[in-house]
Amino acid sequence: MTRGFFALLGLVLAAGIAALYWGTDGFRVVTSEGARELAVERSPRAVPDVALFDQNGHAFTLADYRGHTVLVDFIYTRCPTICSVNGDDFQRVLTRLQKNTGDRKIDLLSISFDPANDGLPALQLYGDRFGAEAPRWRIAVPADRHGLAALLKTFGVVVIPDGWGGFVHNSAVYLVDAQGRLVRILDPDASEQLAVATERVAAQ
Amino acid sequence: MTMAATATRSAISPRAAVLAYLAVSGIVLLLMMLLGLTMRLAQAQWINVQPDFFYVVMTMHGAGMVGIAGLSGAAVMWHFVRRHVPVSTAIFLTNLVFFLIGAVLILGAGFIGGFGAGWTFLFPLPAHSGSLWSPNAAASYLVGLMVIGVGFLLLHLDIARGILSVYGGLGAALGVKQAFGLAPEKDGPPPAVTASTMVLIVNILGILFGAAVLVVSLVNLYVPSFTFSALVAKNMIYFFGHVFINATIYMAVIAVYEILPVYTHRKWKTNWAFYLAWVLSTVFVLTVYTHHLLMDFAMPTWALVAGQLISWLSGLPVLLVTAFGTLTIVYRSGLKWNPAAALVFLGVAGWSIGVIPAIADGTIAVNSVMHNTQWVPGHFHTYLLLGMIAMVIGFMTYLTNPQPRYGFAWLGFWLYLGGGIIFVLAFLLAGSESVPRRYAVHVAKWLPYDRMGSVGAALAITGVLILVARFFAGMRAAAYAEDPT
Amino acid sequence: MNTRFMSSRLVAATGLWAILWFAPLRLALERDMAVHMIVQLPLLACVGYLLAVALRRHEPHWIAQGDWLGIPGLLLVIFATSFWMLPRMLDAALADPLIDLVKFLSLPLLVGLPLGLSWRRMPLLGRAFVWANFIPKLGAIGGLYLAAPTRLCAYYRLDQQAVAGWALIAVAVALGATWFVVVFVGWPAADGEAAQTCRAPQEAA
Repeated sequence: MTRGFFALLGLVLAAGIAALYWGTDGFRVVTSEGARELAVERSPRAVPDVALFDQNGHAFTLADYRGHTVLVDFIYTRCPTICSVNGDDFQRVLTRLQKNTGDRKIDLLSISFDPANDGLPALQLYGDRFGAEAPRWRIAVPADRHGLAALLKTFGVVVIPDGWGGFVHNSAVYLVDAQGRLVRILDPDASEQLAVATERVAAQ
Repeated sequence: MTMAATATRSAISPRAAVLAYLAVSGIVLLLMMLLGLTMRLAQAQWINVQPDFFYVVMTMHGAGMVGIAGLSGAAVMWHFVRRHVPVSTAIFLTNLVFFLIGAVLILGAGFIGGFGAGWTFLFPLPAHSGSLWSPNAAASYLVGLMVIGVGFLLLHLDIARGILSVYGGLGAALGVKQAFGLAPEKDGPPPAVTASTMVLIVNILGILFGAAVLVVSLVNLYVPSFTFSALVAKNMIYFFGHVFINATIYMAVIAVYEILPVYTHRKWKTNWAFYLAWVLSTVFVLTVYTHHLLMDFAMPTWALVAGQLISWLSGLPVLLVTAFGTLTIVYRSGLKWNPAAALVFLGVAGWSIGVIPAIADGTIAVNSVMHNTQWVPGHFHTYLLLGMIAMVIGFMTYLTNPQPRYGFAWLGFWLYLGGGIIFVLAFLLAGSESVPRRYAVHVAKWLPYDRMGSVGAALAITGVLILVARFFAGMRAAAYAEDPT
Repeated sequence: MNTRFMSSRLVAATGLWAILWFAPLRLALERDMAVHMIVQLPLLACVGYLLAVALRRHEPHWIAQGDWLGIPGLLLVIFATSFWMLPRMLDAALADPLIDLVKFLSLPLLVGLPLGLSWRRMPLLGRAFVWANFIPKLGAIGGLYLAAPTRLCAYYRLDQQAVAGWALIAVAVALGATWFVVVFVGWPAADGEAAQTCRAPQEAA
């Protein structure tokens, strides 16, 4: 072994492990999806006060939800796959929450990121398909592009073309608490955990 | 390049290093045999063992035995191939150190962490313990295997480097030209080189696949969203496992090629058939692992049919030339039997006989009935306990065999042989009665076989204890002695 | 002659780097996961390798001395490549041009450059060991990409991910097959190189 070998080796090891530690948030996540969930769980972030309108044409802002717990998901109404599944999941969660929490204020909000195609009629159709009734469950679209961009950024939603004229996006359910903070990002497939987490946040 | 050029400044002589390998192997062998006895006694209902602990014992027994089969086989191979090509003692010892580190991790996983998924760690079982063990215990096991794999990989690559530096290519070192009559037989490589080359080819490939599937399993353990096809994983695991355990026999058989000529004063004949057998077996060993998956209906049919055909042929070429060579070298040689010669001779016999029930199990029609019975441990214990291990103990005895006072060793030999036969027969008889393998608790009907197996195991362990103790007694002197010639 | 050799390599390295950074090409290469991983990242490492070839003579003494058998250098390469193998880092490079620039700097400087400097110092056994570990792990990562039921990168579709998985496996198989054929038929320049590298450990020690 040569002079300086152990010093160099130690340097590389320390720097390498530190870089990987940083890159995986302490060896906990390897995907940006996982990193996003962990970041939100560690430090809830305030959601921007964006103006939207819903399937009844009513204008509202996210600030109107203060004092309510809201489950948010992102959709586009032409979506043939995951959004419909999300719609079904939301329906099930709604039924369960109504049963368990009575009149405690938990609302659902599906936000379209495709304002070009999702006008009022499309929102109405989608709402009817899953029996969504405003204001308990709003199907909404941001009023302007800036609002949409701010929402996607805060919630960490990435939308890319699917190559067939539609979109691919990271599907998740976002839990916003009564103070208007995004507190959890949840897996829509695990409806049991979803409901439990929501009830816990709503009870706070 | 001379051997001196690569001889490292290791303070430990090559011979002492070989003895260290064998000492570790001997101790671990005895401990693992005691674990095996524990399982048989528990099934015989002579002692009480909790079922979850039974599976820890089973996993440790499997991993430990495969490990020392590899370790002691490597000692045989390295000792003899060193006579022909330059190899590094430092790398050889590095492998031993890696083996010991890996062994500690594996034993910790089992006896502290409770890991009991079987030595084959079938994906995704390590991650689904039903809270019997933690992900960390499973990771400790997988990392332990990985560390051992790294050591073996280094050793194999170093021997490959040595062989390439002398023979230029692995094809030449295997004797491919001689096998097909393209070069004179007398110019062919020595048997130790041919056998080592075959082992290197199959084992390096096996270890590469093993490393890949270990990485996948480890990632899955901590990031469950990364999954993998369980069938592909099983193929990879059995490719690795099958190749590795088979290679241990092909390493150990070098002892037969080198030791029998010493006592019979004849040369081991290397003709075209010998080389052809090794070339064919190289290909077969790599392709035959599918016979471990004959029960997997999800496998494509062609793969299963090919697996059946190749498994009938697979062991045969080298086995035939070795068994035939052994008989011809011993026949009318005026050999005065001593324990070392008897043990390697027994090794060839045990290997040959063990292959017969193995070929039966390699037949799909039989396999679907027999594979989950004790028939299978029956056949693999026949050629591992009475074949591979016999060759290794023969090698140990050969190295520590200076004076002709064999009385004690003969006692060990007969206890080992007698006990071993009773032990494997108990498995084979139970298997033919459809007694399932890997059951922690047995019904009353099966107990006679379990008790017969326990008695056989106890006798065999006593015999091995004597032979290993004798090795330890002679080890110091052997470190400075020359090989008997 | 040496300065000319050096400057031509430097020009080639910076030229290749600039072409890869050129926005239309950069975005085109990053649009697809497989191309991003198997074309762009290795080319960036090549930039660093060219740099190493050009600057070899000017290597600081403490590096040349401390980099025993090339082990620290190779370790650095392993860490840096592992870092950019993290799916979230691929995402981050696509989302943020600044991170992409970090990628464009670190792959040449922390992968290609140390590889070019350390590889010569590695004995044959060490090189074989690196290959033997690199190939199956490449295949394993390909297998994981292929089998993952969900998208690992937010910016790539599931089908792109599967293509990337197949591509990684194909590269691993091709490398493995090449390696095997080379070993089976014969080691190129067996005498000179083998003899030299075998002796390297003693000289260095």
